[in-house]
Amino acid sequence: MKRETLQSDSKRFEPLLRVSCLCKQYVQRRPFSRQKIVVNAFQDVSLNLFPGTTLALVGESGAGKSSLARCIALLERPSAGKIELAGENLLVLDREQLFPLRREVQMIFQDPSSALNPRFTACEIIAEPLLIQREGTNSQRRARALQLMEQVGLDPAWERKTPLEFSGGQRQRLAIARALALGPRVLILDEALSNLDAANQSLILKLLADLQAARSLSFLHISHDLRLVSEFADDVAVMYQGRIVEAKSTRKLFASPENPYTKELLASVRSVESILLERSA
Amino acid sequence: MLAAFSSVILFAGFFAPYDFAAQDRDTPFAPPTTLHFVDAGGSLHIRPFVYDPRDSASTSPNAEAASEQSYALHWFVRGTSYKIAGLIPSRTHLFGVEKPARIFLMGSDAYGRDQFSRFLYGGQISLLAGLIAAILSVSLGILVGGIAGYYGGWLDGILMRGGELFLALPWLYLLFAARAALPLHISQWQVFLLLISVMGVIGWARPARLIRGVALSAKERNFVLAARGFGASDAYLLRRHVLPQTYAVLLTQITLLVPQYVLAEVTLTFLGLGVGEPMPSWGALLTSLQQYSVLSSYWWMFLPALLLIPLFVVFYAVADALQELHKSVPL
Amino acid sequence: MRYLARRVLHSVLLLLGVSIFSFTILQLAPGDFFTPLSLNPQISAHTVATLRSQYGLDKPFPIRYEHWLHSVFRGDLGVSFAYGTPVAPLLAVRARNTLLLTGTSLLLAWLLAIPFGIWSAARRGKLSDRAGGIITSSLLTIPDLVLFLTLLLVAVRTGWFPTGGMMSAGFDDLSIGGKVQDLAAHLFLPVVGLVLATLPPLVRHIRSAMIEVLDSPFIRAARAHGIPEHRVLLRYALPVAANPLITLFGYSIAGMLSASLLLEVVLSWPGVGPLLVDAILAKDVYVVVGAVMLSAVFLVVGNLVADALLFATDPRIRTEQIN
Repeated sequence: MKRETLQSDSKRFEPLLRVSCLCKQYVQRRPFSRQKIVVNAFQDVSLNLFPGTTLALVGESGAGKSSLARCIALLERPSAGKIELAGENLLVLDREQLFPLRREVQMIFQDPSSALNPRFTACEIIAEPLLIQREGTNSQRRARALQLMEQVGLDPAWERKTPLEFSGGQRQRLAIARALALGPRVLILDEALSNLDAANQSLILKLLADLQAARSLSFLHISHDLRLVSEFADDVAVMYQGRIVEAKSTRKLFASPENPYTKELLASVRSVESILLERSA
Repeated sequence: MLAAFSSVILFAGFFAPYDFAAQDRDTPFAPPTTLHFVDAGGSLHIRPFVYDPRDSASTSPNAEAASEQSYALHWFVRGTSYKIAGLIPSRTHLFGVEKPARIFLMGSDAYGRDQFSRFLYGGQISLLAGLIAAILSVSLGILVGGIAGYYGGWLDGILMRGGELFLALPWLYLLFAARAALPLHISQWQVFLLLISVMGVIGWARPARLIRGVALSAKERNFVLAARGFGASDAYLLRRHVLPQTYAVLLTQITLLVPQYVLAEVTLTFLGLGVGEPMPSWGALLTSLQQYSVLSSYWWMFLPALLLIPLFVVFYAVADALQELHKSVPL
Repeated sequence: MRYLARRVLHSVLLLLGVSIFSFTILQLAPGDFFTPLSLNPQISAHTVATLRSQYGLDKPFPIRYEHWLHSVFRGDLGVSFAYGTPVAPLLAVRARNTLLLTGTSLLLAWLLAIPFGIWSAARRGKLSDRAGGIITSSLLTIPDLVLFLTLLLVAVRTGWFPTGGMMSAGFDDLSIGGKVQDLAAHLFLPVVGLVLATLPPLVRHIRSAMIEVLDSPFIRAARAHGIPEHRVLLRYALPVAANPLITLFGYSIAGMLSASLLLEVVLSWPGVGPLLVDAILAKDVYVVVGAVMLSAVFLVVGNLVADALLFATDPRIRTEQIN
């Protein structure tokens, strides 16, 4: 599933999504004193996401990946920096201007159980974005939802079931269907595969790949599983303690990592394989 | 589950007699013949007839029992008119006796009023008061708690501090102070309504705190975040996602609050601070017990107090059952 | 120390809030103490007006409040219209009686609740615990009013106990021993009533607090070390459970005050309760405000004491200061 990186593809020069110097800080106040502690979630992050490709963001937990993802998905506000979608800086827009643009970037969460309201039916969940964006009539929305269900591999006859009645893999499909409802160009997957077993992981990966090919979607895929990353990502950015320490195409990264942290990460992946190799010998 | 069901049935059983309201007389009516204390003529209803109570009481307490006049107990009699639920006029009562005998299932009070009927009517008033006040409190609680929990920040801080103020003070004192504010010379209905409003308004703090907790945790859930990612407004999020999570808490709160408020109303009226004559709140039924003479000679006046106990048992059983029910529902 | 200072400040603000609240509420009502008088055709409007201005009832609200606030600081709580005497000494006597009653009951209730709660927690799930639980629940469901009335009934019917009041008629003539005995006899029923009314929730909370602590790992470790059970309960579990219990103490004061109000009226104990009820009925403004403030003060002081106790006993609160 590896493909040539974008930089070598003459058709696509411009990144669809450009993140520049993004920072996010939290200020905590100690309960009984006046001191303020500044905590940096991430600093000076710059990323480029090209159309139709997958950028993987890797790093250990707590490195600020999720926070970054939420900022890019416009669910949180960063403290500084720019996020440009097709050249337009999203952070300077006000609420009304931002409203229609929200359709372009959608997020898929790690745990589908918490991302889906257990009291909603499947149809309602998928149709919700359409409802919020005031698209179509009730029956139109429902029709679209059923359509999407089919596209992600769910039986449309299940439209009235609640999320609890689906398996983990199916719930994630639901989440994907919902994310696709508005026809976004960018999907952000925050460890979307981490809660799934290996079989489901491959299935969902395949689904995502098909969708990407069919709709020319761009994925920002956050993961800590380097093995998976090596399978599906075109480019990789490595995050360490809130900063991007290395960003390259997948092939180049795995072949010749520069940053010591990257090397450590890769080493830990390889060692499992080599151990297995040794044990079978 | 069974407990919940049986208690609900008991409730219905309670309410049905109101419609029939075995009414011999209208409650506000003090008969001109100042009948004094009669013993419960109803003890004879094993065979359903009663003796004219006046025969036994007015002369000497004993011996006149074998009076010639026996008045049979009838079912579904036509009696004085009343209105079912205040709307539909009717004249049918569940049971009664022919005039001029009276049937006093629970005895009568100093004015000759049938305690049983007063108990039933009093139930309407006291239970209604409790119910309305509880709904009022919970509604306020939703409003304040929802806003505090959802928006957080300084608004949350202020609201919760205010709530602490209300919670920390002994509620009875607050209620009294509020009651003192009400003019003493307005119509009884107005007193009733004002009383309920005051009770309801004062009690917003506890449900508010609970609802705030639910709102706080609900707004952090990923599906709320996702909806926000689609551009949902705060109003939408509150309405569609946060509020439904509170339903469970709401229900249990109401079932817990209703008995508390019923008790509050009864207590207030007992002390003379609630609804006044001639509205037959349960508290009014018990007021006369403060007099020594009543307690020592007229034991049946204590009956309403005793009957209250199983009522409250039922209330709390329902509340417990509901809590159990909601514990098993996955979040 | 700063923690305590904040708590004190908080309490003062609370009291201020309460005073404003009660004052405001009383002003909202149309009419005042003299309204019934003005309805009487035999009393001229002029007389009523003079009475009103004498008592300062004709001045606007903020001025009256300010006036009242000033006098409070001087120790003067205003005048009771009904009794014709200053409020402060009136309240003082009543307050003393109420304190006697509630203090005794509070002490007794906690003295009973703690062992009972610990014992129930220790025997959780066993028959004795369940039986205890049933008793507690039944007591809980019985409305306070019914409970008190039952006590009154018992007193009247059996004649074993005095049916009201704090002292018998010939009190002053009794010897010291006789006085104590008389007081005790009169105290008995009210205290029983209050204790029965407030005991169940206490026991419940103590039991659940203890259970929560008993489930924690360090208790298991202590047991594994072979420390005898009663030591585990008393020297290990209880001190940790003390934190929520001390907070509970503060809340129990509020409950006790509410219950005592009702009890005093039912059993004719000459405390703040009956005074308040009568004052409300008569719209004796300053008495009502004074009584409400008094109860608020009781509460606040109680909570402050609880906070101080917490501060002294729980090292976690102290360390928050240092950081």
